[in-house]
Amino acid sequence: MLGMNTRKKSAMLLLTAVMSISLFGCSTGNSTTGNAAQPAGEGNTAAAAETTKPAGGKLVLYSAGPQKLADNIVSGFTDKTGIEVEMFQGTTGKILARMEAEKSNPVADVVILASLPSAQALKADGLTMPYPEAANADKLNKDWSDAEGNYFSSSASALGIVYNTKLVSTPPTSWAELATPAWKDAVNIPDPTLSGSALDFITGYLSANGEKGWDLLSAYKANGAAMAGANQEALDPVITGAKSIVAAGVDYMAYSSKAKGEPLDIVYPEEGTVISPRPAAILKSSPNVENAKAFIDYLLSDEAQKLVADAYLIPGREDIEATNRANVKDIPQLKVDWNWMSEHGEETAARFSETFK
Amino acid sequence: MDNNRIFRRVGVILALFLLTISIGVPLLLIFWQSVYPDGQWDWMAPIRTITGHHLSGVLLNSVWLGICVVAVTTLLALPLAWMMAKTRMGEHRWVDVILMIPFMTPPYIGSMGWILFMQKGGYLQQWLPSSAGWSELFFSFWGMVLIMSLHLFPFLYLLLRDALIRIGGNLEEAGAVHGARAGYRFRRIILPLLLSSYGMGIMLVFVKTIAEFGTPATFGRKIGYYVMTSEIHKYISSWPIDFGKATSLASVLLSVCLVMWYMQSAMSRKFTYRLVGGKGQRSKRYSLRGGAGWLCGVYLAILLILSIGIPYFSIIAASTMKLRGSGIAFDNLTLDHYKELLSWGSVSMKAIGNSLGLSLAASTVAVIIGTGFALAIGRSSSFMQRVIDLFSLLPNTVPGIVMVVGLILFWNSPWMPVTLYNTYGMVVLTYVVLFLPYTVQYVKSSFTQIDGTLFQAGQVFGGKPLYILRRILIPLILPGMLAGWMMTFTIATRELVGSLLILPPSMQTSATYIFAQFEQGQVSLGMAMAVVTVGMTVLMLLGIELLNSKRKWNAS
Repeated sequence: MLGMNTRKKSAMLLLTAVMSISLFGCSTGNSTTGNAAQPAGEGNTAAAAETTKPAGGKLVLYSAGPQKLADNIVSGFTDKTGIEVEMFQGTTGKILARMEAEKSNPVADVVILASLPSAQALKADGLTMPYPEAANADKLNKDWSDAEGNYFSSSASALGIVYNTKLVSTPPTSWAELATPAWKDAVNIPDPTLSGSALDFITGYLSANGEKGWDLLSAYKANGAAMAGANQEALDPVITGAKSIVAAGVDYMAYSSKAKGEPLDIVYPEEGTVISPRPAAILKSSPNVENAKAFIDYLLSDEAQKLVADAYLIPGREDIEATNRANVKDIPQLKVDWNWMSEHGEETAARFSETFK
Repeated sequence: MDNNRIFRRVGVILALFLLTISIGVPLLLIFWQSVYPDGQWDWMAPIRTITGHHLSGVLLNSVWLGICVVAVTTLLALPLAWMMAKTRMGEHRWVDVILMIPFMTPPYIGSMGWILFMQKGGYLQQWLPSSAGWSELFFSFWGMVLIMSLHLFPFLYLLLRDALIRIGGNLEEAGAVHGARAGYRFRRIILPLLLSSYGMGIMLVFVKTIAEFGTPATFGRKIGYYVMTSEIHKYISSWPIDFGKATSLASVLLSVCLVMWYMQSAMSRKFTYRLVGGKGQRSKRYSLRGGAGWLCGVYLAILLILSIGIPYFSIIAASTMKLRGSGIAFDNLTLDHYKELLSWGSVSMKAIGNSLGLSLAASTVAVIIGTGFALAIGRSSSFMQRVIDLFSLLPNTVPGIVMVVGLILFWNSPWMPVTLYNTYGMVVLTYVVLFLPYTVQYVKSSFTQIDGTLFQAGQVFGGKPLYILRRILIPLILPGMLAGWMMTFTIATRELVGSLLILPPSMQTSATYIFAQFEQGQVSLGMAMAVVTVGMTVLMLLGIELLNSKRKWNAS
């Protein structure tokens, strides 16, 4: 009897819930178009108002890289200008995918990517808006930024050999050493189709060494090196001790983990390595051009460059140095050809994946 | 009768319209993109992609994986379903909720748990250094099948258990009266009656397996086993982006799934029986004593350890570690990550709120629309009904990411008078579209087994359509609706692939939060979020289960 009652009650409860929800469902269902028009309309008028008024309003930023840094930069920028920033945080690949999906109705104003060739590709496709008069642009490293002001590398990271200090007592000093039996099955290498910086390293190494650069990569594979996702995914097994070494690991991740107390350290091989710049660009389709320009100015300001250095990245401006990590002058570099790298990125990534599958 | 027919026709037309704008057109746009890659008509493009990319190997990998996972999920789910439907063990309702945990766990988190446990220097080896040999055995194709099966078996189990309960004891008793032995009864009575639900279940398991992205991306990549979804994802989320290639591959995957769907629906039409009639049913429950009871208990325990114990041990351990490099040790434990996660007003709390709100809205809308569709489909007798059936299943057969790209292309196209994209509504719409198949399947499965005489009886006694709906139809399909609602809710709270592309900037859900933490190297924080969200969902489901614990089929 009691059972019957509760059953009835709960059924009624659910039924009322379903009915009331169905009313709600119908109203939203029928008026999706009507309702959606409102926010979209608001967005448009707001955007129109903003383009005439530089201060205040909003900015849509797509940013790859360390989130804490992006958060700090965004809040610093908002404090200074009063412009609200909407940010999408992801990897370079995700951001480019999102831009592709939004192609017919773009919403982003500024993108920050983790790979120079992808910014070069944006420029080649005519998607970027030049801003040559950006404040402090003349102090940027010339090799990393566009002469016409299409993109500005406000930070960079160098690729090195990252190792677990519990497992490795005498770290390798050269790229070639990782192909020796001492490091059999102990090495991870990030996937260049997912990690812009890994791609920069591989294409950079090939541009400096020509076709015989592939010998080293094949030797890695023969020695049991594993291709393991993007940077953090390649680094994680080294932190937990399942692998000993990341070849071509991004250095800022190693520095920040080390600062936390993880058993990690990094060396830059003597043959030289690649420094991977992180370009920012204003999109031609930007609805908030003035705000976007203000944001680029802020990125290149002393204040933001200090934030960059605090995040263990190399500041993009040559006149600012980081104190917590190796600076450009301390890192042996390969003679790389960014144009060659930009042109051959796609086929190199494909060939690398085939080799390491 | 005429009234009914008009109702049904209106329903069919409405369903077709909704499906066209929410699923049909977006997928057409995807197809359009694949044959119109660079602003030029090129109908050969998909074919070239497929022949030019060693695709047959990857396709075979996908299909073989699907077949193996179906086999292993059956081995895991069938005995359990029988125990829970036919023995006193079924009284332990908590088992059902607990068994939802594997399914609620984001697949890539579950795989990470296994990897952390089994890898070199992993948790198992920290305890048992001699277990190093197991690691190699585990990091293989069969390890991947095991992980995916442990993730998906609860789904098959729920379908099978419900079907077994509906079959009831009468038919078996009749068999027994006529002298049939247990084996014969199982083979000639239970099995044929079970086939329709089983077919539906394994089709969904198969499709889920070959459309799954998380496990291939984490575990598959480690062992070098590449499948269709990893290839599609590669073209869609890494530079250089190529929607054309991705959509070509997706259409191959889609064809495989459509063949499966056709086979299943043919089988289901042949083996569907009316089981829920007007007469009351008693279901006999065997009481388990002695050896049999022990066997069942041990079986359940092993299943729980494998599907929940091991992965959650790793997840919780990882979420409470100060330094991930220091391994399991008491002085390495901390609750700081939880404190950071649950501090009021933090990004993570907002993400949790977003997830709950979105999932509630999406699952509720999905149940209403999905029930409507399931009723419109009815017994798939007419061509139009079969078309609706096919369309409402499509989101489950297309990899989520492809469906999402289609939705973006549609709702963000310049010729649309309004753009839903980048709004809250778009996220709800996406979730509804992605998870509609669950409600449709569950409700359809309940509905097709109701004997039509029940409705006729209602009419004979003068019941108006609305009254029949309220007093006969809805109570009988309510369990299906509830199951669909729960399924949608739980999966929506962990949906990742679509959310990554579709969330407005500055908005995070718990899943994208976890993913971002992994990307940022804050694995512990990500794992803590996984524990919190899954824990919350479990509590909610337990609550619903309590509310609903008196639910019985055909209570006499």
